[in-house]
Amino acid sequence: MFDVEEIRKDFPILKRKIHGHDLVFLDSGATSQKPESVIKAMDDFYRNTNANIHRGVYELSVESTRLVDEARGKVAEFIGARNEEIIFTRNASESLNLVMYSWGKDNVKVGDAVLVSKLEHHSNLVPWQELCRETGAELRIIDVDAEGKLKISGAEEQSFEESGLNVKLGSFDKLVDEKVKLFAVTGASNVLGTLPDVTGMIKTIKSKSPEVTVLVDASQMVPHMKVDVKTLGADFVAFSGHKMMGPTGTGVLWGKKEILSKMRPFLFGGDMIGEVKITGSTWADLPSRFEAGTPDIAGIIGLGEAVDYLEKLGMDDVRQHEKELIKYALEKMSVLEKEGLVVIYGPRDVEDRGGALAFNVVGVHPHDAAQILDNFGIAVRSGQHCAAPLVTGFGVPAMVRATFYVYNTKAEIDYLIEKIREVPKVFA
Amino acid sequence: MSDYKDTIIDHYKNPRNFGTLDDADVSMDESNASCGDMIRIQVKFSGWIPGQARNDKNEPGLPRHSVPRNDEKVIMEMKWQGVGCAISTASASMLSEKVVGMSKDDLEKFGEAGIVDLLGGEINPGRMKCATLAYRALLKIFDSND
Repeated sequence: MFDVEEIRKDFPILKRKIHGHDLVFLDSGATSQKPESVIKAMDDFYRNTNANIHRGVYELSVESTRLVDEARGKVAEFIGARNEEIIFTRNASESLNLVMYSWGKDNVKVGDAVLVSKLEHHSNLVPWQELCRETGAELRIIDVDAEGKLKISGAEEQSFEESGLNVKLGSFDKLVDEKVKLFAVTGASNVLGTLPDVTGMIKTIKSKSPEVTVLVDASQMVPHMKVDVKTLGADFVAFSGHKMMGPTGTGVLWGKKEILSKMRPFLFGGDMIGEVKITGSTWADLPSRFEAGTPDIAGIIGLGEAVDYLEKLGMDDVRQHEKELIKYALEKMSVLEKEGLVVIYGPRDVEDRGGALAFNVVGVHPHDAAQILDNFGIAVRSGQHCAAPLVTGFGVPAMVRATFYVYNTKAEIDYLIEKIREVPKVFA
Repeated sequence: MSDYKDTIIDHYKNPRNFGTLDDADVSMDESNASCGDMIRIQVKFSGWIPGQARNDKNEPGLPRHSVPRNDEKVIMEMKWQGVGCAISTASASMLSEKVVGMSKDDLEKFGEAGIVDLLGGEINPGRMKCATLAYRALLKIFDSND
């Protein structure tokens, strides 16, 4: 197991003071902090190597191209994929939109259904709402129970219709049939930390409907636990680089080669073409076909470095560390809950959840709670966390969310608990 | 707690003009999508010609001139309801007192800077959307019902 105090030295930002206090950064679910090695790799690139990729025969361009290829190889190995199956994007949202535009528009039609869950981040909900509205396909949503776990069986089915979009809300077993062409589901909730049994659900749905294509939004998964696309059973996996210690502006789409190679590009331009004539063009092979224009070269190199950093820590240990933190945080928060100071949302069993803790301070709006905590140097997020249907489904307009990563400590959780007690006093 | 001045806490705990107006001229809903805050503002305008029937919809047979021109409208009364944080609640409450007698022109001149002043002169930039929720609804109110 790694030594957290040693790890903390690798993250320059953790030395910062916020309003005179040590920074306690509990918002890695939104974006993680970056280790020195990632920052340095990007800095080195701009100082020593900077040139565009793929288009030059000169040394710098050759080196740049090699660095991007190496980073692609690192990401591929990290998730058990082949290099040409790794598409670099700006973020997970772009990865998900790529699937919607390049695969969805050609494969989903009226009479079909797209299945998602109520846990989805807006980026894995809104594209499918739009696709279903345009095509006349039905949007099916797996509901959540009071703990924020997916309802696998038995729930009453509800139907909704608005501006041409037909929505069914219910339990997994009732929503799965041969009409479902796409199952797009999160591997870990960014709000509640819920870890749905994605592998189990994929097995069930593929046995009932062998033609179904499965997309996993792994944005809150890949940074926090071992993900192997060979055993996951999905056809697409989307995640962002900046939540796993990489720089902002980096995201990844993994897709099975046999599916990707049949898809049309959705962005056109430089680098993604085969042959161009004035009367038309052909497309480049994978992965270039889906990477039009100059990519974020330095960012991709930084992402490769982030993968190295995570590999060095070991993803099983990363998960173990976060499990211990969330277990500790839940124990401490339960005390505040018993005192009537807070309400906690999400599963209580650490086996069922990742390192996201959603809560509210009783009688205090989450924005106020977050701002008061900020005055003590604690960075937590407040709002709907890009998951409005999920959050409002709990009968509240918004929630406070603390998310943990490798550099967080139990002492920071103690400090959070201590300062949560201060929050209601401001309004007393 | 620099952002939580006593006046903010006071308006948050005892919001002024909280409620509904039965004879409102305009009702307007405004929300902050990312944080879930919602507000409904209702106002009564002055500028009606006393003693004449009101004709908001320009119905035939009634005098059209009873509808005031947009630039003549002055807020006579404001009531509001909503869910929100201390900043958005205090801001709506303070504005509900401040805007009485204001025209659209006055409100625009008052501006976001005026709201920050009302709230004590210092608002975290991340909270400006909270602080200006009611203000944005009020601007829309002037633009509607033309």
